[in-house]
Order: sequence, then C-alpha cells, then structure tokens
Amino acid sequence: MNRKILVIEDNPMVVKSLEFKLKKDGYDVVVAEDGRTAMKLLSEGHFDLILTDLMLPFISGNEIIEFIKTEYPNIPVIVLSTSTQEDIITEAFTLGVDDFITKPFSPNELSLRVKRTLAKV
Amino acid sequence: MQLNSLKELENWPYILKVNLTLSISFLILTLLFIALVLVLRIVKNRREAYRIKFDVKLIDFYNHFLFDEDFEKASQLGDFKFRHLKTSFDHKLAIKQTLIFDENLKGESSEAIKELFYGLGLYAFLLKDLKKKAWFKQVRALYAFSKLGISVPQELVAPLIKSKKVELRQQAMLYFLNTSKENPLGFLDDLDQELTLWQQVFIENSLKNFDLEVPDFARWFNHEKSSVVVFCIKMVVSFNQFQNIPLLIEALDHTEAAVRAQAINSLKIMEVPDALQLMSANFPFETPANKRAILYAIERIGTAKDLRTLVGCISKEEENLQIDYYKIASSFEDEIPVQKLIDLDTITEDWEEYKDYSLRLLQGA
Repeated sequence: MNRKILVIEDNPMVVKSLEFKLKKDGYDVVVAEDGRTAMKLLSEGHFDLILTDLMLPFISGNEIIEFIKTEYPNIPVIVLSTSTQEDIITEAFTLGVDDFITKPFSPNELSLRVKRTLAKV
Repeated sequence: MQLNSLKELENWPYILKVNLTLSISFLILTLLFIALVLVLRIVKNRREAYRIKFDVKLIDFYNHFLFDEDFEKASQLGDFKFRHLKTSFDHKLAIKQTLIFDENLKGESSEAIKELFYGLGLYAFLLKDLKKKAWFKQVRALYAFSKLGISVPQELVAPLIKSKKVELRQQAMLYFLNTSKENPLGFLDDLDQELTLWQQVFIENSLKNFDLEVPDFARWFNHEKSSVVVFCIKMVVSFNQFQNIPLLIEALDHTEAAVRAQAINSLKIMEVPDALQLMSANFPFETPANKRAILYAIERIGTAKDLRTLVGCISKEEENLQIDYYKIASSFEDEIPVQKLIDLDTITEDWEEYKDYSLRLLQGA
C-alpha cells in the first residue's frame, strides 16, 4: 500500500507540482489549501508524512505544526517555505519539524528528503 | 391615433420639444452605458474563466515536461504550442506561469523551464515586444528576461537605460543586474539621468543578495550625475573598499554639496582621521547641513582640539549649529556652562562668551 502524504500549501502551482512529483514517486497525496482543512483531514484519516508551508490562510504554519506535534506526535513534518531567516527556521525546528526546505526548491532534492524522512519512521 | 399624437407633438411649445429630445438622448446614453458595462463585465468574466482553465492546462503541461521521464518533450512542446498558444493573451498567461515556476523551482528544473520558455516561442514573443514602441510592453519583456536571467541582444536594451520613462530605465537596470554577472553596473557609464533613491536601494540589494561581481566603485567617482557619485561613495563603505579612501578625501572638494556630504559621512563611518584637516579647512565655506556633518565627524574620529579650531567659524546666528557644537563638546567632557546654554533666549550672547572661552583653551591660556 502506498504511503500517504498530506500537503498543506496555498500556492496552486506549488500544490500541483508537489502532487504530480510525489504521485510519480509512488505516494498517495492529499492536499489542504489552508490550516483549517488540514486539521479536518488529519482528524479523518491517517497520514505518514506532512509537508507544509508556513504562510497559510486562517491558521499559521507554526500553529499547525504545534497542533500536529501535540495531537499526532508520530507523524513527521517537513516545512517547505520561502523563509530563509535563521529565527524562523530555528523556531520551526524547536517546534519539532523533521526537515526544512526553502523555496525555490529542487524537486529531486525534495523527493530524496521525503524518502529519507519516511525511512526514519 | 399615432398621427394625431405626432400632430399634437408638433403643436407643443419649443421648450417642451427640447426637453423631450434631451430626455430621450439621456435615456439612450444611459442605456448604452449600462449595456457597455454589462458587455465589459461579461467579457471580463469569460476571460477570467478562460484564464483559470488555461492555467490548469499550462500547469499540467509544465509538470509533465518537468517531472515526467516518459514524456516526449520535443514533440509535445511543438504540439502544445501549435494547439494552445494562439493569441497574445495565451502567450501572456504562459509567460506568467513560466515566471511562477521559475520563482519556486531550482536546480535541474530551472534549465528545463528555460527550455520551455524557448520551446513555446515565449522568447520570440517577448523579443517582439521589446522592439515595439509601447513602453509598457518593453517593461514587461525586460521584467521577464531579467527574472529568468535570459540575455537578449545588447543593442536592444542599452538605449532603454536612457529612456525618459523612469519605469523603463529601472527595468533596464534590473535586467543588466540580473543578466550581467561580470559587469552588472556597466550601465552606469551610459546613465544620463539621476539615480533615484529607490533605484539606489534596489541596486545595492541586488549586489548584496545575488552572486554578482562587485565592481570598484571609484570607477564612477567622476560621473557627470552627482547621484551616481553619491551612490558609489555609499557603496565604497558598504563593500569596505578601503583602497578608495584617498579618492573619498578628494571628494570633499567636489562641486556638489550632496557629494561632499556623502564623502564626509563615509569618511566618518570608515574612521579616517586624515580627512579631518581638509574637512576643517572647508568648514567655513560649507552648507549648514555639511557643517553639521563635519561636527559629528569630529565627534567620532577627532579630538576636542579639532572641534575648538572650528569655534570661530560658527557665527552667532547659526544657533542650530551652536547646539550641535555644545552637544559634541560635552561628549569630549569639555566644561560647558550648561545651565546658561539651555536657555534659548540668551543662547546667542552665551555663544560669544563660550567662543572666547574655547579660543582661550585652544591657545592654552
């Protein structure tokens, strides 16, 4: 059975590309365009990994990460963000994210990081 | 019945006829205006619906092109171009998506995006725009080329640096900054208009944020536009070009006050006490703002003695300068009769007293 990834991202182009690339790599991909939808989807099904942006509508990425790490501590989280500021990256790691990828990103590198993170679980 | 009504109308007074004509004309105009608004709205909605559909098609095609290894790139590229890129609007949408993909992806995808850009004929489309007279088309083309880092024949962009349209000049600068890694500021040589503060900021940001070769800024110290010289003096400090300090000292004698002001500030920041002698010599002939800058330069890199040599050059009318002088003198722990000096009513007389006192100190009395 394919492993299931939840992508939380509001940029349609990035969503489509991630969906396409990850499906090509053999994963099942579910997309949430904002934090609220992500929380609803998390309560409805099981996910093996979460890939999230930090700048999201309604609920910020950090709030979602905090929620995931409290409610679903075993699901690994990878952040995909345009932020390159040290304090933002440090805060994300303090909240417990497993990896941080900055945009613009290399799709092949992202694939490898997803694979590596899932291998650790 | 109808004929009767018309006959009746003919018998109407003149003023009523005019009134009726105007009312009917106004009603027709209003109806035409409402129809126009509705048509424009419908066209806009249809265009928007088309855009959404076309964007989905483009993103899907781009994703296949970038990530699908089984995708026959060459044939599919030609097919997509032939079937979908028909109008100018289609091309514009494709350019927009190309820029979004380029902004979000890097590595091997960046090269593939450029392949798409050429393959779909977007390069040729924008090159045509660049050759057109309409400045907004030229700006749009330059924006896309600079974002993607794609070079076009130099002779097409070089004249735009001298354009009367500030937006076009700015975009041409951005183009050179993004595409010329070895000589990103070469365009300054051809600049025949002042650099705005905003342009200075984005040039500095580009130099700091991108991997560009930082030039020796002394190259433009004799530029005919003072804003270019001011910018280059600032950059000497930003990029720690200490080898240019002698030229910065020479700039203290520049004919433009703004250039001298920037030289004073830069020499202060770079802490060059050798410059104080010339600053002090120029002090009596400087503008009030530059005099103030010199006083603060002395505070940072000079001594109480350097400051006292200027006391005679500040007249009793220059009250703002006197206040600055007192502030700086107090930072040198000079004994200032502060209680008296803070009284603005007597500050002028106090200055004369203080001047004598300072001169006596200078002479070692």
